[in-house]
Amino acid sequence: MRHIIKPLFRHRMMPLLVLLQVALACAIACNALFLLQQKLVPIVSPDGVGNPDRLIVAWNIAPRGQPWPTSRLDQVAAELRAIPGVGSVSVAGSFPMETVAQMNGGVYGEGAHPAKADTAVYIGTHLRDTLGLKLVAGRDFSAAEEGVSYKGMGLDENGPAIITRALAERLFPGGDALGHVLRLGDAADAGRRTVVGVVEHLMRNKFGQDDREDIDYSMLFPSIPTNWPMPIFALRARSAAEVDGVLKAAKATLKRELGPEMIQGIDPAYEMYGDMRERQMAQPKAAVWLLSGVSLIVLLVTVVGIMGLTSYWVQQRTRQIGIRRALGARRGNILRDVQLENLLVVGGGILLGMALAYAINLWLMHHYELARLPWTYLPYGAALMLLLGQLAVLSPALRAARVPPVVATRSV
Amino acid sequence: MFDYYLRLALRRCRQNVPMVLLLVLTMAIGIAACMTAMTIFRALSGAPLPGVSPYLYVATMDAREEVDKDNPDYKQPDSLLKLVDARVLVDAHRAVQQVAVAQSLTLLGDMDGRKSEQAYGLMAYGLAVQALGVPLRYGRPWTEAELAANAPVLVIDTHVAQKLFGTEDAVGRSVMLGQRSFRVIGVSGEWKPRVQIFNLAENAGSVMGQEENFFVPAQAALDAGVGPLIAGECGKGAPVVSFQSAAVAQCRWMETWVRLDTPSQLADYGRFLAGYADAQHDAGRFAYPPQAKLYGTQAWMTLNRVVPDDVHLNLMLAGAFLLLCLVNVAGLLAARFLRRQGDVAIRRALGASRRDVFVQHLVETGLLGLIGGALALPLTWLGLWIVRMQPVSYAEAARFSPGVFVILFALSVGVGLLVGILPAWRVCRQPPALQIKIA
Repeated sequence: MRHIIKPLFRHRMMPLLVLLQVALACAIACNALFLLQQKLVPIVSPDGVGNPDRLIVAWNIAPRGQPWPTSRLDQVAAELRAIPGVGSVSVAGSFPMETVAQMNGGVYGEGAHPAKADTAVYIGTHLRDTLGLKLVAGRDFSAAEEGVSYKGMGLDENGPAIITRALAERLFPGGDALGHVLRLGDAADAGRRTVVGVVEHLMRNKFGQDDREDIDYSMLFPSIPTNWPMPIFALRARSAAEVDGVLKAAKATLKRELGPEMIQGIDPAYEMYGDMRERQMAQPKAAVWLLSGVSLIVLLVTVVGIMGLTSYWVQQRTRQIGIRRALGARRGNILRDVQLENLLVVGGGILLGMALAYAINLWLMHHYELARLPWTYLPYGAALMLLLGQLAVLSPALRAARVPPVVATRSV
Repeated sequence: MFDYYLRLALRRCRQNVPMVLLLVLTMAIGIAACMTAMTIFRALSGAPLPGVSPYLYVATMDAREEVDKDNPDYKQPDSLLKLVDARVLVDAHRAVQQVAVAQSLTLLGDMDGRKSEQAYGLMAYGLAVQALGVPLRYGRPWTEAELAANAPVLVIDTHVAQKLFGTEDAVGRSVMLGQRSFRVIGVSGEWKPRVQIFNLAENAGSVMGQEENFFVPAQAALDAGVGPLIAGECGKGAPVVSFQSAAVAQCRWMETWVRLDTPSQLADYGRFLAGYADAQHDAGRFAYPPQAKLYGTQAWMTLNRVVPDDVHLNLMLAGAFLLLCLVNVAGLLAARFLRRQGDVAIRRALGASRRDVFVQHLVETGLLGLIGGALALPLTWLGLWIVRMQPVSYAEAARFSPGVFVILFALSVGVGLLVGILPAWRVCRQPPALQIKIA
């Protein structure tokens, strides 16, 4: 061991440069891969919506002046429902994959120390049906519940709620959520909602730093929010063949009914839900490409760097290696020595790099909305870097092992 | 001497082309990544209105008149005021210039009703054109007297003038705005804050500034039935927001911007603002202690996170990447130089000083840096092009500018010299005798 460590301290520059490179690469790659993983979450998570190719969404619809009364919206929904080929129609205040209007807030479970979850709320009529959500427990809202009229948006008011399974497990751990009551905020007079149904998945429409669970924290309230200025209409066609016809008829109906009262200069949007999802996911997808490209180049540059430095380092010591060979060292000994030396230097770099990665993450957490780097990243990162280090050193090490003992007798 | 070193460096570059290519490419990728991120960052974080916005401050206070149990502790400074409050602040003339503004989106038409144009513009109380530094091409801005009389006058930009009247000089013509005819008194050139600065609370997520096609006195516009695009904060029981409504007397919808040139003016105005707000609270109008405060344009943008976090993160990522490339190239260069210790030893033995050897190697790395920079230029262009293709709100900011070119040049030479210092120092340090022995 001594004959490996000692030269490292005598000729400090080369090992130090390798160490520094590994440390930097480690710090960058860990943070970049962590960011990448977070951007991947909405892309790979299920949104719960069934048959997205049959769901038509009309949004960016706003009235000039006062919001439309809910009775008027109900009446328009009835017109839409009469279109041939329509299975279900919703009027909602906010909608999955539509980020202009968001209803979010802290929701609490029961007990003295209730669990809390940052949750998206979708308030609208027949949303479970229109979104095609899979009910795993309980029931859908009843006709009476759908017909209730709120004083305000509905966020402060009591009533029923359908929540996702992830949210149910978060708020009411280890048990059946049905029949339990959740609180909409921490105020004493906050609205209370009784869970009547649990759906498999439903993605929230606020995207930030998510992980697999909290992106699935959503719930549904029945009926239409009162005084809400940007209603969203959603129509589910009975079959894929009828989508085009339904879309055309829906456009015509909304234009006829609400067109004259809409704000000027901003056009309503009619989109298939699948396209909305595509559009919403385009940005994280681009970020994923960018971050994976950066990580790859970082690792590549490091490998090339280690390779270049080690091959010089080996060439520099050709004579010493020759002497060792002449004194009886085998090729395997030389190979192992070079690899062990690399292991030590890269290992040192990794230790420094991990500390650096963590420090950078802490600093980023302080200044930006970023989650904590999970420590599980560190061993994986370390293993990857060690492997890459060994790979980079392989060719110079083999060259070193091939040095013939006779070199020792030559003065170079 | 310099051109001799340069020739020497070129000759050496030709000796080991793959190695040189690797060095230069590593530098080029590092520089290009950094330049791409920096271009976007510079475009977004510079003064939104060059020459004007560094002196502009926005007045904020907790002007809510009812208790709001959802947000009792005024989490975020609020810049929206009722027109009555904005009027008092503007009419006090305590700042160098002052104006209250709100975004409007409405239809401008000619008097025959044949031509019309949907346009974004600012409704303003105060001398908006002067305070915001809007460039006038023709005519004049409105006067205090016209403002006080709620005269139906407005300033349109050349784009709208061209659209409605077929000429840029539309001064004296009439424009239909809402239900009234307004006289065009001035025509402005293109005016657009580089980044969104107005009503940031309701413009969350929009990064790039809005081009304003017209400027109109607020009360005159309201009288004609034209309101702000968005009016929020209309008190309990009112809708969350309403659009294009002229019934905004109960709403907080205007932002007051003041121009302050010196720190003492800033301090004085801060006291005046706090005094006004506290008086309203004491009189029972404002429900909460107002915590009135002035924010400079940059501070206001930072507070409201106008520039997306991703832009900052990408800049840091690119910077760290460049650093890695630097360390990498420095290592490879050290190996490259030290392999040539024999040549150096002979030069030293023939009388070259350490300084000569050092400079010779620095010239070589400087040259490599320049080549790297030259390669980074198309790479940066490519990087910006890729960003422009992305579905991000700031894609428009990814444009090559001459300033970027200068930075790129400086950066590449700087990078070349910086990575060369350590290896060049290392190679010139050893005494000639030892080097000859090694050779």
